[in-house]
Amino acid sequence: MKIVVLLSAGRHPVSGAPVLPRMEAQAIRIAAALGEAVGLHAGPDAEAVREALGLGLTHIEHIAVADGLDPVPALAARLAAMAPDLVLAGRRGQGGPESGIVPYALAEALDLLLIPDVVAVSGGPDTLTLDQSLGRGALRRVAVRGPVLATVHPDAAAPLAYAFGKARRGTIELVGAAAKATDVPEAVVEERPYRRRPKLVKGAPTGGSAAERLKAATGEGGSATKGRLLVEPDPEEAAREILAHLRQIGVLADASKSAK
Amino acid sequence: MTRPRRDPRAERASIQVAGEARPRFDRTARRTGSGRPRRDPRAERAGQRVAGESRPRYDLSQTVRFDAAVITEAQPKTAAVAPPKILVLENPAFLVAVVPDAPGGRLSSHDRQVLGAARALAGREGGVAILTLGPCEGVGPAGADRCLPLEAVEGYDPASQTARVAAALTALAARHVLFPESLDGGDLARRVAVRLGEPVFTNAEVVAANGLVRPAKGRRVEQRVAPGMLATVAPDAVAEYGGPPREARLLSVDGEAPTPSPQKNPKRIVSAARVPADPATVPLALAEFVVSAGNGLTDLDTFRQVVAALHATPGASRVLCDAGLMPRHTQVGASGTVLAATCYFALGISGAPQHLQGVAGCEHVVAVNTDLHAAMIERAGLAIVQDAQVVMPALLRLLEQEAGENA
Repeated sequence: MKIVVLLSAGRHPVSGAPVLPRMEAQAIRIAAALGEAVGLHAGPDAEAVREALGLGLTHIEHIAVADGLDPVPALAARLAAMAPDLVLAGRRGQGGPESGIVPYALAEALDLLLIPDVVAVSGGPDTLTLDQSLGRGALRRVAVRGPVLATVHPDAAAPLAYAFGKARRGTIELVGAAAKATDVPEAVVEERPYRRRPKLVKGAPTGGSAAERLKAATGEGGSATKGRLLVEPDPEEAAREILAHLRQIGVLADASKSAK
Repeated sequence: MTRPRRDPRAERASIQVAGEARPRFDRTARRTGSGRPRRDPRAERAGQRVAGESRPRYDLSQTVRFDAAVITEAQPKTAAVAPPKILVLENPAFLVAVVPDAPGGRLSSHDRQVLGAARALAGREGGVAILTLGPCEGVGPAGADRCLPLEAVEGYDPASQTARVAAALTALAARHVLFPESLDGGDLARRVAVRLGEPVFTNAEVVAANGLVRPAKGRRVEQRVAPGMLATVAPDAVAEYGGPPREARLLSVDGEAPTPSPQKNPKRIVSAARVPADPATVPLALAEFVVSAGNGLTDLDTFRQVVAALHATPGASRVLCDAGLMPRHTQVGASGTVLAATCYFALGISGAPQHLQGVAGCEHVVAVNTDLHAAMIERAGLAIVQDAQVVMPALLRLLEQEAGENA
């Protein structure tokens, strides 16, 4: 089974130092459990992804693509030559535009099946079972046939520990350079330092007074003011009240429904 | 209480005697405007005079109120709460399309925010069209002028769903299309973008007619562009639509040709099954309903039974985790897990500030504690001042009884 993990040159969200994005490290762990995996990076410098060698990869292929050029044609050409059974990528980049469009563009270019937000992969070369995150711990178990491109969700298992010796032994191979791509006319993007926007206050009345907005922000306008207080009730009475309240919220199924 | 503001010039002009060259004012005419009756002390004094005596005598015990006509403003009569008028937009200059997630045929709050963003983009003359996969309720009050229900895709088939949405968008010829940046919405937006060959502006935090803004490079910079065709809207960034309900007129797009199977090899997805989250093993940060134990509990076996019976995820306070009574990964609070649960049920927890930080994101809190003045009792939507040790068996008995009745 041939597995390729797409690697990108990320930046740490806090320090800005070059790191391998966490989701790609998680993808390496998923790939390492399935078999031998190869890393693929398109960018000006392969040193940015050397960290991946310590996290479970033994070999990385590097395509030299100048900074600011679209890496999709180069990646698509290389992937078409490699013909892998499974391609893993992070769901978003880290430190760049963070739009997450590259896996979709690759899947369109190669006519691959794309399964997003995967947390676990099992199975063999002909049929793979992918667990897709639906949020809040719920999953969709998708069985697929043929080559598939999957993006990894942050809820996947934590990355393997970094091993210095493995990082020393791993190899990075330059497999080619992208042809001088024609300059794509990019949309005019104006960049400024990030400014945090005021947080949207849930439950604040539109056009309400400042006092009402403050109440909504501090939680006094929510459940706390409408809260019920029962002092020293009978335990049976308290239990009835609790169950009725939980059912009203909707976290507990109705007694009649749960029995069915 | 507020009094109406006086306008002395207007009052003076109103008492001017008309038709004389020299201005004269009739000061006997009572001033209007303040709403209070003006006292006339002479008339009051005259009213107190005892009649029929040559020497004036006044009966001071009685006070005769000078009977003045009180000028009261006509109170605007509060009309009976009529259903708000539905706004109808006949010929929108352009359309802004919204493709919501609408899980289970109902708009999520994120979907409503996207509709609010679309309304901001549409402005006065544009219209908002909503494309739903399958029927969806409550789209008019959320701000949709037009509604285009597409046929729902059975099973998990993102390719044909994308084909359907892309065909409808092409036929609709909307100027802008907005998606929610959620798991499903973000996925669909990118699929539609590569299918249509259009760039997509992802995770927009500001949506306005003069520009969309998104964070980039790890929130170091923000990028602003003029609104393009496709964009996704970040959660909790844009306010929901707050105006009167709109029409949500049904549209039919004739250009929607049923695409039988755009894929060359059809059955690439063999099967897809939904696996619901197991509350007993789900990580605490993802849990929907957390039942938590504190130092007010001694019987943790009963606590575990209660957690299992309520189908909840177990949590604990720092004291119990430090004592080794509960595993460390169940700790709720600043040094443990910060929850994103819908409901938090605290048993025997007084609510230290560090613990309340972990609960800050929970929408509903239920607390059982012996201390009436505990912070957790104050925070809770349903607070019960009682020993949790006696409430837990009562809960178990009640749940058992209900299960027995329905069996």
